[in-house]
Formats: sequence, C-alpha cells, structure tokens
Amino acid sequence: MDIAVLVKQSLDVQELRVDQDTGKIYIEDAPTKAGDIELNATEEAVRLKEKLGDKAIAVMLSTWGASGKRQKEAREALTRVLAMGLDGAVLIMGEGAEKGDTYVIARALAEEIRGKFELVLAAEGSEDNFSGLLPARLAAELGWPYVAYATAIEVEGDHVKVTRSLEDFEEVVRVKLPAVISVTQEINKPRVPKLVEIVKAKKKPLDQKDFSPPDEPKLAIKTLKVPKVERKQIVIEGDVEEVAEKLVQALREEGVL
Amino acid sequence: MRVLAFSHYVDLALELISAGKGLGEVSLIVTSDQEGRIGEIRGADEILLCKELDSGDQEGLVELISGLGSEYDVVLLAGDRRGRELVGQVAHRIGASSAVDVSSLSAEDGKLVIERMTFGGKAVAVEELNLPAVISVQKGKFKPLEEGEPSVREISAPSIDRRIEVLERKEKPKVGVPLDKAEIVVAVGRGFKKKEDLKLAYELAEVLGGVVGATRPLAADLKWMEEEVWIGISGVRIAPKLLIVVGASGQQQFAAGIMDSKVVVAVNTDPKAPIFEQADYGVVMDLYEFLPVLTKKLRELKGG
Ligand SMILES: Cc1cc2nc3c(=O)[nH]c(=O)nc-3n(C[C@H](O)[C@H](O)[C@H](O)COP(=O)(O)OP(=O)(O)OC[C@H]3O[C@@H](n4cnc5c(N)ncnc54)[C@H](O)[C@@H]3O)c2cc1C
Repeated sequence: MDIAVLVKQSLDVQELRVDQDTGKIYIEDAPTKAGDIELNATEEAVRLKEKLGDKAIAVMLSTWGASGKRQKEAREALTRVLAMGLDGAVLIMGEGAEKGDTYVIARALAEEIRGKFELVLAAEGSEDNFSGLLPARLAAELGWPYVAYATAIEVEGDHVKVTRSLEDFEEVVRVKLPAVISVTQEINKPRVPKLVEIVKAKKKPLDQKDFSPPDEPKLAIKTLKVPKVERKQIVIEGDVEEVAEKLVQALREEGVL
Repeated sequence: MRVLAFSHYVDLALELISAGKGLGEVSLIVTSDQEGRIGEIRGADEILLCKELDSGDQEGLVELISGLGSEYDVVLLAGDRRGRELVGQVAHRIGASSAVDVSSLSAEDGKLVIERMTFGGKAVAVEELNLPAVISVQKGKFKPLEEGEPSVREISAPSIDRRIEVLERKEKPKVGVPLDKAEIVVAVGRGFKKKEDLKLAYELAEVLGGVVGATRPLAADLKWMEEEVWIGISGVRIAPKLLIVVGASGQQQFAAGIMDSKVVVAVNTDPKAPIFEQADYGVVMDLYEFLPVLTKKLRELKGG
C-alpha cells in the first residue's frame, strides 16, 4: 500500500512582513517552507510504511509561481521531508499556478494520485491559509472517503482505524481504503533528521513536472487587507512589587478591572 | 438567492440562518438527533427535516447536502471541525467554489463576496466566489434572529455505500464559561513547567473574575487543561476586555486569536518574544515570581 503525503509550499507566516500603515504585504520577500503539520503527516507516513514495508512519496503542487527562489525553496522543503524517511517526491510547479484555487489544485493532484496510491495523508490545514479544503476536495475528486483531524492511525488490512479529535468528543472510526486522512499537530513528534540523512535525501528521486492550471478557478482574490491592531507596547520596568503596582494602576486607568 | 444551511450544532445553525437571511431565502437541514430542538429555530424560511439521518454520519451528510445543494446558490456550513470537514467535499461534489471561516458575506453582480482571515491572521482576503458557493461561517459573527417561524418539510436520506464506520465516541468534558464570551481571560503557555503550576493562573483568573485559556500545545498536546479549548487560528478567537498572556511566545497562529482583545498584558522572561509586539503592557519577568505578587495586589484592591 503506497502512501502519498501532501506537502504544501507554505509562506512562513511568522516571517511575513506586513505594513499596517500602507497595507502592503511583502509576499515576495517572505520565505516558504513545508508547513509544520505537514511534518506530522510525513512522520505518520514514515511510521506506517516502516511497519508495512511499502513506499511513501511526498507530492507538492507549488502555488507561488516558479521563480528561481521559489524553486530552490520548494526543493529544500522536499529535501527536509525526504530526510525524514520518505522514498521520493513529486514537485509540480509552473507560472500561473498562483491563480489555481483549491478546485483546480485538487483536480491536478488527483491526476498524480489516482491509481498510484491507496492512502493520502495531509495536514488539517496548511500553515499559510489553514482552510483544510484541499484534502477534502481531493477525496471528493477521487471518490474516496475523507476523515479529518486524526490523532492516531492504524492500518488493519484494507482498512485504517483512525482516532480523531473533535470539539466535544473523541471518535474512533474504521475507514475503507483507499482514503484521504488529514492529521493534527498532536498525532506524533516529527523526527529531526541527522545531517547524513539530509545528505542522503538529496540523492533520493525528486521528479519535477511542469504545471499550468487546466481549469478556470471558481474564485478570485479581490484584495488582501492588513487588519489594524494598535497596541501600546509599553514595557513596565522595576522590581516585582513596583511592576505589579504599576500594572494594576495602568489597568485601573484603562477601566478594565 | 437561495441558501441551504446545516450545522451539527443547533446554536451555530441559528447563526447560519442569520448570515443566510442577508442573502435571501434560507432552508435549514435538521437531522434526526436535532429534531427535539426544532421549536427553537427562528428566522429560516423552511426546515428540511431528515429523520433518517444522524448528524454523526459524515458520509450521509455529504451525500444529502451535495444532493440538495445543486438547487441552491449558496450552502452555509459552520466553522467547527465537523462543519469544516464537509465544506471541501460538498463544494467539490457540486462543482462549487468554497471558502472557510468567513467573517462577512454579500451578493454582488451574481457573485458572492466574502472576507476571511489568511496568512495566520496577518491579512484578510476579500474574495469573489462564483455561484454556487459552499462556505463555512466564522463562529459568533452573526446574531441569531428572533422572529420567523419556519415551515417544516420532511425529506428522505439518500442511500449510500458506507466506507466509514464509527466504532467509538467518547464525550469530552463540557466547557465552563466559553472563552469567546469571557470578559477577562488569562492565557497560559508552555512557560509553565508543570500542570500543578497552572494554579498560579487559576488564582489570578479568580480574583479578576475571569477564565483561563491556553495555547495549543498546552491544551491539545500536553492536555493540561480540562478540555481541548485553545486560543488561536485553529482554536477559539477571543475578544475580552482584558487578556493577560503568561508564558506564551505569541507565535502568529496564537496571535490571530487575540487580535480583538481590548487590552493585552504579556508576561514572559524573553524580552524578544513576539508576544510583546502584540501587547499593550509588557512584563519581562519570570511568571513564577510575578504572578503571585500580581494576584496578591489585585486581591488587596478587590478586598479593600
Ligand atoms: C497550522 C498551525 C496552526 C496552529 N494553531 C495554533 C493555535 O490555534 N493556537 C496556538 O496557541 N498555537 C497554534 N499553533 C502552534 C503555534 O505555532 C505555537 O507553536 C504555539 O502557539 C506556541 O505555544 P506556547 O507559546 O505555549 O509555547 P512556546 O512557543 O514554547 O513559548 C513559551 C514561552 O514561555 C516563555 N517562558 C518560559 N519560561 C517562562 C517563565 N518562567 N516565565 C515567563 N515566561 C516563560 C518563553 O520565553 C516562551 O516565549 C499552530 C501551528 C500551526 C503550524
């Protein structure tokens, strides 16, 4: 049973600079990386394949254009997950991919997955957009069942047993393969690859394919606004007693006590 | 426009009706387990009661909503985990556009224009969606309507070949005061070294008459809180008048959940922690030293 792990090239939102005064968002300058929760999905894929003796492959469809910088980052992100133990990676990239919405991307990914894999693992949400739409759409495109928010996965023959965490209860479900499962950050602790594994990862198969959206997207981003959050950012100094005293005073003046 | 709505939670369904009425006529799907609460439903034009389907049946729901959905312009679902799980599947099945956690929506020139948070809360995307559209609505953004008794029509559930079987369902303990409604919140992070130490935060919350919330690792990973309720982009977004963040770094995904707070105080040993940029008042100190003193001062103030 071969496993595909969906790894998104995510903007590093921690590093993304926005200007609250001009409303400018410096997307081009921000680095991209494999999302943190995708490392959890990778870890789970590696654990499962070690038990089952099958292959696990990363599939990335980049939506940040195909500039040299983005290509290099995409390959670095894939090297990172390959070093964790995946067997290979597919990178789909091209100019114009930025316009693809989840409808378009899901259809393109399904082409890559249909007939080749029986289990697709993804993150509950990507690091930059966090919509969780893509794995759900991919499942629908493939006609496979979809279970989100997995905190444990066990393979039992042609089924997987998935424990998942919802707001008001925890659920254990049995899902018939092939299936798409998205995982949470709590499912495991992603291993940190050693230097030799990173060196070896660079020699693993990385298959790059060209991409241009085959379908028209169903939505268009009109604008991106920067929400204004004004904070005073006053650091209160002094010894413990003084600081506590000054803080209480300030909060009284704010009228929030 | 014709709007179809569904939520696993009747309380959220009421918010969806309110969001949907701004667009047009609203039909709400009610499942067998929700039938007892039909009397509370106001504002919808019509209730589609499906007695053959339980809301715990994800595949059945996808089939039912996708089947009905093609007759509507917009399908509204809720922003909870199970609601979000449906959005992409239903949208794809009916060939619709989609968006999640939508904070505002309006019809413009035959399209649906929506706003939602993106980039971990650093930006708000304004998007134009082709119809039909399937979206989830951010919790707490729309006030339930008080007027309008809907008509009730019974519908049957489509039969399907099920591939997901629920083996077990364990309820989690219920939340006391919901964080998103609290006036004062003390938010705790991994700066606390053991679960027992959270007592310092609970004592502070108690003198303030507030509640304790947490960062995701503390609640979901370490499970130090009674229930898995954390603040942030993947958890609850809060809007208290006073928020005291203790021992949390203020990573973007957490920060996205606290933007609507009125006054923010941060306590952290690391002067470079990003939380200080999101705070009105910063205290660069060990929480173990600072919290007991602050609690004592507040107690004196409240007592006298
Ligand atoms: C897609 C995605 C979604 C996510 N969603 C969320 C979310 O909704 N909510 C969320 O919280 N996180 C979320 N996360 C995780 C988030 O990125 C951070 O990892 C998390 O918020 C960090 O939690 P923390 O601040 O408790 O821990 P840390 O980042 O480890 O911070 C601990 C802080 O405590 C301080 N400290 C240590 N000792 C003391 C002391 N004695 N006194 C005072 N201060 C001390 C340290 O200086 C440090 O700043 C998400 C991540 C991803 C990838």
